[in-house]
Amino acid sequence: MIALGFLRSRPWLITLVVLALLVTINAALQPSFFEPRVLRSNLATFLPLVLVAIGQTYVILAGDIDLSVGSIVALVNVVTVTIIAAMGGTDLAIWVGMLGGVGVGLACGLFNGLLISGLRFQPIVTTFATGIIFAALAIWVLPRAGLPVPANYWRTYGENFFGVPLVAWVLIGGALFTLIVSRTVFHSHLLAAGGNRTGAFQSGLRLGLIRIGSFMIAGLFSALAALCLTGETASGDPLLGQTLALSSISAVVLGGTALAGGFGGAFGSIIGALVLGMIGNVIFFAGLPFEYQTLVQGLIVLLALAGGVFVTRR
Amino acid sequence: MSVSLQARDVVKHFGAVKALTDGQLTVGEGEIHALMGANGCGKSTLCKIIAGAVSPTSGEITFAGEKADFASPRDAERRGIALFYQELSLIPQLSVADNIFLGHEPRKGGFVDRKTLTERSRELIGLFDGVSGQGLEPNVVVGDLPPDQRQIVEILKVFAKNPRLMIMDEATAALDGRQSERFFEILRAKKAQGISTIMISHRLDEVFAVCDRITVMRNGVTVTAADTAATTREEVVHNMVGDVQAPARHNRLDEATAPVALEVRDLSNFRVSGVSLKAHRGEILGLAGLQGQGQSALLQGLFGARPFTEGEVIFEDRPLSIRRPGQAVREGFAYVSGDRGRDAALSGRSIFENLVSALTVRERLKLVNPAKLKPRVEEVTKGLKTKFSSLDAPIGTLSGGNQQKIFISRWLATRPKLLLLDDPTKGIDLGAKSDLFVLMRQLADEGATILFYSSEDSEILDYADRVIVFNGGQISAELKGDGINAVNLARAAFGEAA
Repeated sequence: MIALGFLRSRPWLITLVVLALLVTINAALQPSFFEPRVLRSNLATFLPLVLVAIGQTYVILAGDIDLSVGSIVALVNVVTVTIIAAMGGTDLAIWVGMLGGVGVGLACGLFNGLLISGLRFQPIVTTFATGIIFAALAIWVLPRAGLPVPANYWRTYGENFFGVPLVAWVLIGGALFTLIVSRTVFHSHLLAAGGNRTGAFQSGLRLGLIRIGSFMIAGLFSALAALCLTGETASGDPLLGQTLALSSISAVVLGGTALAGGFGGAFGSIIGALVLGMIGNVIFFAGLPFEYQTLVQGLIVLLALAGGVFVTRR
Repeated sequence: MSVSLQARDVVKHFGAVKALTDGQLTVGEGEIHALMGANGCGKSTLCKIIAGAVSPTSGEITFAGEKADFASPRDAERRGIALFYQELSLIPQLSVADNIFLGHEPRKGGFVDRKTLTERSRELIGLFDGVSGQGLEPNVVVGDLPPDQRQIVEILKVFAKNPRLMIMDEATAALDGRQSERFFEILRAKKAQGISTIMISHRLDEVFAVCDRITVMRNGVTVTAADTAATTREEVVHNMVGDVQAPARHNRLDEATAPVALEVRDLSNFRVSGVSLKAHRGEILGLAGLQGQGQSALLQGLFGARPFTEGEVIFEDRPLSIRRPGQAVREGFAYVSGDRGRDAALSGRSIFENLVSALTVRERLKLVNPAKLKPRVEEVTKGLKTKFSSLDAPIGTLSGGNQQKIFISRWLATRPKLLLLDDPTKGIDLGAKSDLFVLMRQLADEGATILFYSSEDSEILDYADRVIVFNGGQISAELKGDGINAVNLARAAFGEAA
């Protein structure tokens, strides 16, 4: 009973076990798995989803959902590369481009938040629509994929700092962010807003600010994901990140956060995102054809949901 | 004693409805003040205005010597007024400590100071030490707690705000005797510190044991205010009810000759405990009392929407165990709710679809044949004088009263043997009401059994053959014949045996 209670408050522990299992299988199938080069490359592949999932968690905790995150990634990507190219590809241009991208991400989140919390639109439909708008804007900014970023950008992204790859630092930074935020007053108000909105209102919480804040965090992390993706692809692509919205929601659920809101945390979503990535890896190295990957991914998410129900239901 | 709160000439209109026409209330510093009145007398509205949840149409409120026109509950809270919410404000997923301090957590920078939070919660929980039962700990999730402990958390939430004035609206409803006793001890201790309480209670016993003064309201007007020591229970009840004219009695059913149709024994669910009663064929049995004392819970339980955890239901000499509304419908039960939006309306669908939904369940229809069904439902709606342009028009095109007639017709089409009416006249006009009452009598005369709960006492007094009064989830009195009058009803509603 005590063990079950312990699990109930930390449902991501189950996901962590699954992750360990997947790593073991992967290492068995691919002996080079623990080589730094392979680890780095895997991490770089998973990182965008990890970041988007972190942002998505806060929206879901507050009882909302954000389907536009993938489009935000595409928009930030094209805005960043366009600014860098327009300013001549100097180091300064890179910084301005990145800042501009982050600004765009925050603005998209603010736009979503204002529509949903201010005008009381339905989150699913609204972010579906704004997602189309953001994607359309991305195509308007950069109609065709291209516009390579300066070598300094992707080279730095691939480098080590203090002997650790930059991508790992980003992951560590994301994890620290989730741990710090989980201790803030904002976080408990977020849980309250998602857990019982009427009650939260009657307790005097500023629901509008809380919900807008969660969408802005989602926008911010989508922007960071876009910057990482840009480091990988080294160019602009208006069709980037199309599957990220639903994958990020799967990662959040896998990480033990309740889709209805009010329970969970972003740390679990990181593990959830890594599990989703590892599933793809394992299937690839097991020699399974590509078409099974999606099917197995769906089954695993279903299993995780079943596990979550088993653990949280009395 | 100096004055803490004074409300003068407070008026509140909701559209054309006058909820409050002349609200007066003076609460002294360090006073426990009871606000009494029957359903719909305006006491809740007055409390909401004081707590900043509703803004008055006109009137003046002063608190602690200053003018108080609060823009929001948050505003009122900052000035030292805290309102007790009946369970509504708890977040089930959060811990007890998080709930108690929600919105004003002890902080270190932007972070929650967990240590202080836990310590201060433990102190507050300690107030109910020895009576709160097992497992009420700061880090326990509120969703796992039983109702009484949740209510204690809700009470502690009020205490945690350190208010100068507390509004306790039915704060003891879910508490047992020892817990209530402790709660009143705490109120008395707070009183010694100069903290005032406005108390709304469904028990005269409590009021006379605990409160210093009593203000009585009736029909939106403050009738009297008196020291508890200077008044009596009879006087309070009389003031709540007003001068009663001898009601024009119609022929009430002679229960000695009518066969028993429904008998229930020791029923309990989330809000009723140990309810036993009998209802006869052809009888309109009124369920009365203050709102939320278990009347709806009993009706929903009989209908299988909130199944009973204990007890027996015997209908037409057969024991029944109904766990789902579908079963109840097939037994010939019908349930009409006053909350149309939540319980009845298939919004956006046609009047026809709204009409036949119960029929299809009752007769286990697999296919809906409009040509066959339309004449049947049309006949029923005619009996109720329902006005609509076409059966295919959306339900939303009708007024509230006509919608309710459609939902009643929905059930009449099933020819129910037991009709459960859960405040069916809420929000419908007088014409529709009187049509409904005529129809109820007609159905009863044809042999149906009707359980009729209304939040308007006068409807029960005028139309029920017999009245069962609820108080705190239990039956406090049964009124028959000439015993059915407003004074007896009000006494019983506040827990006094008739």
